[in-house]
Amino acid sequence: MLRYILHRLLMTVPTALLVALAVFVLLRLVPGDPAQLMLGDTATEETLAELRSQLGLDQSIPVQFMYWLGNVLVGDFGRSITNDLPVLPLILDRFRVSASIVLVAVLLATLVAVPAGMIAAWKQNSLGDLMIVAGATMLLSIPSFWLGLLMLLLFGVKLGWLPVVGYVSFAEDFGRALAYVVLPTATLTLIEIGVVTRMARAATIEVLRLEYITHARAKGVPEGRVLWRHALPNAFAPTWTLLGLILGNLLGGIAVIETVFTLPGLGRLLVDGIFARDYPVVQGCLLFIAIMYVLVNLLVDLLYPVFDPRVAAE
Amino acid sequence: MRRAALALTLFAAPWIVGPAAAQSPGTLRVSINADIRTNDPGVNRDGNTDGVMMHVLEGLVGLTENGDVAPLLAARIDVSDDGKTYTFTLRDGVTFHNGQPLTSADVAWTWKRYLDPATKWRCQSEFGGKGLTRIEAVETPDARTAVFRIDKPTAIFLSVMARPDCGGSAILHKDSVDADGKWKGPIATGPFKFGEWKRSEFIELERFAGYASLPGPRDGYVGGKKAEVERVRFLVIPDPAATKAALLAGSIDVWADASAEDLPELKRRSDITVDTAPTMSVSGFLLQTRDPVLQDVRVRRAIAHAIDTAEIATGITQGTAQPNASMVPVPSSYYSKVQAQRLAADPAAAKKLLAEAGYRGQTIKILANKRYGAMYDAAVLAQAMMQQAGITAELEVLEWATQLDRYLKGDYQMMSFSYSARLDAALNYEMMSGPKATQPRKVWDNPEALKLLGEAMVVADRSRRQAIFDRLHTMFLADVPMLVLYNGVDIAASGKRAKGYKGWAAGQPRLWGVSLQ
Repeated sequence: MLRYILHRLLMTVPTALLVALAVFVLLRLVPGDPAQLMLGDTATEETLAELRSQLGLDQSIPVQFMYWLGNVLVGDFGRSITNDLPVLPLILDRFRVSASIVLVAVLLATLVAVPAGMIAAWKQNSLGDLMIVAGATMLLSIPSFWLGLLMLLLFGVKLGWLPVVGYVSFAEDFGRALAYVVLPTATLTLIEIGVVTRMARAATIEVLRLEYITHARAKGVPEGRVLWRHALPNAFAPTWTLLGLILGNLLGGIAVIETVFTLPGLGRLLVDGIFARDYPVVQGCLLFIAIMYVLVNLLVDLLYPVFDPRVAAE
Repeated sequence: MRRAALALTLFAAPWIVGPAAAQSPGTLRVSINADIRTNDPGVNRDGNTDGVMMHVLEGLVGLTENGDVAPLLAARIDVSDDGKTYTFTLRDGVTFHNGQPLTSADVAWTWKRYLDPATKWRCQSEFGGKGLTRIEAVETPDARTAVFRIDKPTAIFLSVMARPDCGGSAILHKDSVDADGKWKGPIATGPFKFGEWKRSEFIELERFAGYASLPGPRDGYVGGKKAEVERVRFLVIPDPAATKAALLAGSIDVWADASAEDLPELKRRSDITVDTAPTMSVSGFLLQTRDPVLQDVRVRRAIAHAIDTAEIATGITQGTAQPNASMVPVPSSYYSKVQAQRLAADPAAAKKLLAEAGYRGQTIKILANKRYGAMYDAAVLAQAMMQQAGITAELEVLEWATQLDRYLKGDYQMMSFSYSARLDAALNYEMMSGPKATQPRKVWDNPEALKLLGEAMVVADRSRRQAIFDRLHTMFLADVPMLVLYNGVDIAASGKRAKGYKGWAAGQPRLWGVSLQ
């Protein structure tokens, strides 16, 4: 097992290097000058040249890349062009915000969506199934920014129950922090419920058609036991893979949700970085996201045998 | 089920009460759409940075309501006959945020720091010899007098000094930096002190009890500047829809840069007060005079006649901006009857000019972006109007940074663009005039105009400057290197708690004189 983990971890190195190279090159192929964006339309040719020199942008791209990569290898992701802050602490700080929302949302979505999907599969083609599928499809189809704004208007503006803007960290004030993350978490949960429900339903339908389920039913095993004891473990395995992908994806930033709810998360950092052509921030964020994605999926793979022992046996 | 509902209510109750109780009653909450970049004046800044920091900072001079320059920390300013010596007599009773009195030594120390390239002050090149002039010495004959000696006279020395993007050339106390000269934070003389800054969340300013205000009413960055509230909290809210929701929910008190499209709805509400003020920013279309099609002035004039600037200005700003074809903005004291002249919308005249120029339906691409909705809307309207006049116009929508890159390279035929506010008419012409061969971003390359502009930069006499600007506008209308549409409008919406907010020509928030009820 340890060898497998080490092997997978080593595999992240070429992945990260490829991501680093691709991001670096692609970012520089995109038109846009960070110096011009920083100085605005009042810049003169002299001030632009000076700033480009200060930022190291007057060097050739290979030189810039090697310099950046060398620093990254010793844990230095550089400093932000726009605010001169070190990039890695900035990313970790923002990641904490995104992760707190994403982890809770994915957990809640799983707790709701997996049983809902299984019940829909169990009662396939019934009114209940229809309603669950319709609900899941609707949630899946709603753009997250729109749902977020609706939630803001209802719970923030109309009812006045929850704050509309701002953020307080959990370390600062747990109670207030909770109030600030309720709406973004609920929005993300609702969106993800749609995806997971459909997956859980499809996987359960497939499992319920297998012979061992028919056998269990023929033996007179109660339906509830058939569903939860026999169908759930096998049906959950593909959903678990999907959850891993969702988690990896969302941990990379939920820019839209973060923008609507004014959360200082990783997604907003990345988007702001792209708009400002803040190369060190964008490169750092994307590299971090790639590594995060690999690690989350590694974790998912390692936990897979818990749900499907055949994988471990193989 | 009932028990579950009760449990949920009990669980939620403290958090529901929490946010409402979180705000101190003396805190004025104002939205900004992005975080500030630094609190070091004029170093790595943007519009939001200037808007926040100008509550903390004050220079020797400041801008008045209509963009003129007036003394701020100086009680009087004497200029020598040769225009190369400026003597600033400092006001009595001014103290820094740390309680220390303002002296000429602070002025000398501050300017020495600004002129040091290591500070990376963005206006260093203007005063360090590469741009406007070179400050050769800042002398301090006594504690209340600072004498600036410059190498060549210029009419806009004080105007540039007052520029918000230069941080108003704010005078700082030397304790703003540490023993190694590293920036710690602003210890200045403004009506608010810099307080807590949580990056990407908020910036809080605290009222400076020892502030020495000038007498009189609010007047740009000068005049009376009484802080009526204990604290101002600038909340970073990037999304306009979320900002509007926050205003309606009472989570913010002032939305200082409300969009024109929200204006009708905001005006209808009895709990919201809306304020509009014309600003000095200039919106219009840049026309590439080196383009094979647009190099013919008749084609450019045809475009000017094809586009109904009044209709675009009214449509985009919901009737809050008046059309203006001049580079001199409407609020400027140099905006004269001559400046008010423009080429009338006349599709027939446009068609005639196109026929004379031998235009054969070549495509003219209009570049625009969606980051700034007004630029995009203007481009869409212009495209339709040009097509009606027989011009084949296409729209190309770019991401803002890409469009800015194309602007910098002069790589466009026609571009929907907006220049940020310059508060001296000469600077308005300067930003778009110059030799394209060496500065491709420049829009107007006319040697005679450049000569006149050079004069406007040096001549201090007001009537002579007015004559120069009037002449420049006449030439500008004849050359049509750019089609100016209107000057921006500062639209601010205040909730029922905030009273007294007023926008102005710089388009930046001013939160002195604003009280809470």
